[in-house]
Amino acid sequence: MNEAKLLVVRDLTTTFHTPTGPLRAVGGVSFDLEQNETLGIVGESGAGKTVLARTIMGLQPRTNVEVSGSVLLNGFEVVGASEKQKRSIWGLQVAMVFQDPMTSLNPVMRVGKQIDEVLRVRLGMDRHAAKARAIELLELVGIPSPAERYCVFPGELSGGMRQRVVIATALAGSPQLLMADEPTTGLDVTIQAQILNLLDELKGRLRMSVVLVTHDLGVVATRSSRIIVLYAGRIVEIGSTRDVFARHRMPYTRALLEGSPKISNPSHTRLLAIPGRPPNLANLPRGCAFAPRCSYASDRCREERPELEPADEVGHAFACWHPLPLTQKIPA
Amino acid sequence: MSSSLYVNEAVEEAVQHARPERKKLGVLFWICVGWLALNLFGAIFANVLPLPNPLFQNYAAINAGPSLHHLLGTDDLGRDIFARIVYGSRVSIEVSLGSMLIGFGIGAPLGMLAAYRRGKFDAILSAIMYCFLAFPAIIATIAVLSFWTPRSLFKIIVVVGVASIPLVYRVIRSATLSCSTKDYVLAAKVQGASDGRILMKELLPNIAPIGVSFLLIGIATVVTLEGALAFLGLSVSPPTPSWGNMINESLAILQQNPWLAIFPSAAMCLFLLCLNFIGDRLRSHFEVSEVKL
Repeated sequence: MNEAKLLVVRDLTTTFHTPTGPLRAVGGVSFDLEQNETLGIVGESGAGKTVLARTIMGLQPRTNVEVSGSVLLNGFEVVGASEKQKRSIWGLQVAMVFQDPMTSLNPVMRVGKQIDEVLRVRLGMDRHAAKARAIELLELVGIPSPAERYCVFPGELSGGMRQRVVIATALAGSPQLLMADEPTTGLDVTIQAQILNLLDELKGRLRMSVVLVTHDLGVVATRSSRIIVLYAGRIVEIGSTRDVFARHRMPYTRALLEGSPKISNPSHTRLLAIPGRPPNLANLPRGCAFAPRCSYASDRCREERPELEPADEVGHAFACWHPLPLTQKIPA
Repeated sequence: MSSSLYVNEAVEEAVQHARPERKKLGVLFWICVGWLALNLFGAIFANVLPLPNPLFQNYAAINAGPSLHHLLGTDDLGRDIFARIVYGSRVSIEVSLGSMLIGFGIGAPLGMLAAYRRGKFDAILSAIMYCFLAFPAIIATIAVLSFWTPRSLFKIIVVVGVASIPLVYRVIRSATLSCSTKDYVLAAKVQGASDGRILMKELLPNIAPIGVSFLLIGIATVVTLEGALAFLGLSVSPPTPSWGNMINESLAILQQNPWLAIFPSAAMCLFLLCLNFIGDRLRSHFEVSEVKL
């Protein structure tokens, strides 16, 4: 463990206390994030991706939730910190881009003012400096004629433009870590690529780290250096992007890969859907959570939960009793 | 060459047309605003305006119909109805604005705080407010006002204002509740905005349209309520004119002088219509622009 790690997550567990009993949305997640690295977190809907991202940010509801484990962000322990303490890192060390640009901007505030907020309140800039910097940020995220756009309301911008503004607001405090929670789900495919490329470019220019949460493996394929595959709130496979794509061992990862369309497929190829549904987090099976949907499942899978194997020398780890053989051909 | 120029121009024109134009509120809206402004002007400057004394009893002209001398006629004591209506609007406007000031001054901040903080604070406060809501406001006001004598304008304002707090609380709380789960509130939070800032800068502007239209409806309701109280003799005591008072007094001589009932009723009716129309207009105006987002 060297000092340069930006984010160290250890055994992070988030449990919601619901009227029907405890619901463990994130269970014992551990990983590290280096400076200037992009990490992809992939999983189905309901796998706990968003809860994980928000728990790392320290954003939980005020009541009925229990978080244990540790999240060290640049030496700051997020778990258990008061709202006031967390406010000191929010915006300045870690920022977040939300899923839907239609709702993540205040509809009655001019877009420039929304960027100004951080600059003036947190960085103590005066009005003119803040405005100049906000226009600079708008230009940085590729908004044409930024000086004019400074004065418009979010309703006058398209979805892609709005997501660019959201990114600009997130970058205002020059954070070292940017959490992007499905940043492209609400956008057209062509705009998706633009926004992802923008994030990638900004990461290089501003020397920050990005955590990219998505359900789409295609999104993280070329842009992240490492990938975490999440299932039922646990890491089922973690490794470099190359390893996860080419040498994945967990049947769930393969199922996810087979479920995404490939340009090399002949037309009218049916996509393979994963049978069944994601498990109910309030009532998880005793063994492997994926066992009921897995074609390799044995009795052992149903009885005993596989732990994440210690990582091999390249940091590739998986949790499975019947890992796929390493000779597995790359699914084109 | 020339055709491409043509296309460019056409495109430019189309783009200009496509720019979202500020939606107009319409002529009727401004007529209503004008009428309310006229009422307000009359209420404020009634002393200065060239009006006959509303309390002066002219026994030479009792129950006179509308004439040049008495624009809307006189009542059974020979008092000028027009002057009494203008002076009477003072009571209605004072009671409605004063009580709404109390209702919004206390109900709105509490509602916003409860919706934003949630938890125990919200649960306890809401429980108390709903207890008050379960009790019909008009009965409560009548009961309190009949025992709290001698009656004065101030007491009426306080009683009606306090009675309106739970209603304002409920509306503002639910509006804030639906706003505070939006991502932009969360986004402001992770930028490190303080709670006060989120309440004032993110939530308040977004619930303002709902607050304003509820305020207008509230004013209209209070004007009617004051009328009802006056009708029961629980508002300001005679001879001070108020719209409700005048309608109450007119009942006894409805057959001899129907004007006495018609004019104050019309004044109140127009006032309420204008308020409701403005509130309705504003609501749809803001609602549409929200859908557009």
